[in-house]
Amino acid sequence: MRYKLLIAMAALGLVATPALAADPIQGLVNTCNNCHGTGGVSVGHSMPSIAGLSETYLKNILMEWKSGARASANMTRLISGYTDAEIAALAKYYAKLPWTPVVQPVAADLIAKGKDITDRCETCHGVTGGKPDDEETPRLNGQWAKYLELEMLKYRDPAFQMTHKKMIRNTQKLDQGDVATAAKYYGAQSK
Amino acid sequence: MSQINRRNFIKAIAAASSAAAVSIPLSACAGPGAKTSSGGGKARVVVIGGGYGGATAAKYVKMLDGGIDVTLIEPNAVYTSCPLSNEVISGHRDIKTIQTGYDGLKKRGVNVLQDFVIGVDRAKKVVTTKGGKKLEYDALVMSPGIEFHYNGIEGYSEAVTTDIPHAWKAGEQTLLLKKQLMAIPDGGKFVIVVPKGPFRCPPGPYERASLAANYFQHSGKKKCKVIILDANDSHSKKGLFTQAWKAMYGWEKDGMGTNSMVEWVAGSQGGNVNKLDAKNRTVSSDFVDMKADVLNIIPAHKAGKIAVDTGLAKENGWCKVVPMTMASAEDENIYTIGDSCVAGEMAIYGNPNANFDMPKSAHIAMTQAKVAAAAIVAKLNGLPTPQPYYANTCYSVVGDDYGFSVAHQYRVVDGTFKYIKEGSGISPILMPDKSPVPAIYRKLEAEYADGWLRNVMADAFI
Repeated sequence: MRYKLLIAMAALGLVATPALAADPIQGLVNTCNNCHGTGGVSVGHSMPSIAGLSETYLKNILMEWKSGARASANMTRLISGYTDAEIAALAKYYAKLPWTPVVQPVAADLIAKGKDITDRCETCHGVTGGKPDDEETPRLNGQWAKYLELEMLKYRDPAFQMTHKKMIRNTQKLDQGDVATAAKYYGAQSK
Repeated sequence: MSQINRRNFIKAIAAASSAAAVSIPLSACAGPGAKTSSGGGKARVVVIGGGYGGATAAKYVKMLDGGIDVTLIEPNAVYTSCPLSNEVISGHRDIKTIQTGYDGLKKRGVNVLQDFVIGVDRAKKVVTTKGGKKLEYDALVMSPGIEFHYNGIEGYSEAVTTDIPHAWKAGEQTLLLKKQLMAIPDGGKFVIVVPKGPFRCPPGPYERASLAANYFQHSGKKKCKVIILDANDSHSKKGLFTQAWKAMYGWEKDGMGTNSMVEWVAGSQGGNVNKLDAKNRTVSSDFVDMKADVLNIIPAHKAGKIAVDTGLAKENGWCKVVPMTMASAEDENIYTIGDSCVAGEMAIYGNPNANFDMPKSAHIAMTQAKVAAAAIVAKLNGLPTPQPYYANTCYSVVGDDYGFSVAHQYRVVDGTFKYIKEGSGISPILMPDKSPVPAIYRKLEAEYADGWLRNVMADAFI
């Protein structure tokens, strides 16, 4: 536990560990942090936090982009420059960091409505999105709402090649007007 | 646009920090702190320039070794981002959203000195400032950005820029150009003059033209035109820009967009401006005289003056670097990063080798800074030189829900830069089956540009 926390703090720059300077993973990770935030915690609304997502989820999605099975506006290009071993190492690194929700508060009636809309999501993601049912499912609590909304647009658009059939089916069942509400519901959850 | 939730983010970091302070003994946290090369005392790193490159270098040295004494020297108290400043000019974004101070770096323990460097003594390893300070260093990060050269255009000078803005260093110039553009009458001509490459922000002029056209459309000034007089015969993301201009701004098939809202004149077609009549806002090339209502000349530029004065800019006016560390090819104790350096074979557009050197972008400056920071900390602590990784992502927003990007990756193999083609390239112009690119791709990248900006600003300055 202490080791885990130390790595996490080093990632956020809270402790100084000169040995990390020579650690090869640090150089690789630095290329991700520009867009995903120092230590993988994003401050950009359209960019996801990646620190603390499960190793399986991260590895799966990165490899799907690399193989071309799953579309992305930009990650398919970027990730193709990394070897499979580097991708595995990156997934492992970010999975070890703690999940740091960036809670985006919204009005109570919106929360109530969001909870209702996301009823069908509960089985896999948990009530608040914070307790995924398995390692392949990402956490959603305190993830950026804007990012989640854009992800749902991708699932809902037949022109965008996504891989998870259940997600495609379920997001397409949402009313257009409810997409942003569902995203904001998860963005507002701390746990 | 919703408010950034930075306060909550900082709270989260603070919470993690205080929790950890209780559970981890201090000895496990703090690095030993590298000692100065002359023995005794803390090692000292001085950083010249508080842009994306310099700020990132200062932050990352401090992150890796809190025992190192880091001083960042920057004349301005507020930094204005060049990336996405075109959205300020076209009225799409408030300038405050692209500005930051240096409190974040100060909180991390970086000494921020608001001053201006007037000299570097390489033999004695001492930096002298205008304010009369002398700072010794064990490693120096040189990140001064660019210096304009006005002499390529007759009648042009720095004095003229208060009336004919360059807006190629963001801040007052950005607002001046915005003010002029907002006041343009319907039917007016906005002329952008582009210097010969390499220049800072390769897609910048074309993005600026696109957003100006977008402004004309939204403000009922549909008879306005934006004309790019380009010293070069090709440009960054050309296929993507041309496609966007066709889709949104009436670009026609003649290759120059003569009757459309955006017109691009290549260097060989008369775009190579060599004369300015400032009083009449008229620019001329060998073939063209053009009177503008709003005139924006981007001056040619080279490495920042202090890099030149220090004897580091010997590669055609730019600073050549050692690929493994970003150290200057001229001095192993100085690391030259950002727009002032040339990393790789210098690209000239239209040259099949284009893309082999790193573009002058904020993102590249930041990855260069991280490489330099790791190399410096490793060296000062007697650790082996780390393997460097360089990456770039550059978004262009060119219209409503319309953005695209280019990515670059570089590694170092046998001591030389290697462009990683597989991990690089522009957004698709067509899908693999030659069908048009679905609109969602362009929308996503327009949204990602904003997320990118917020994260790079935080990763560099906070």
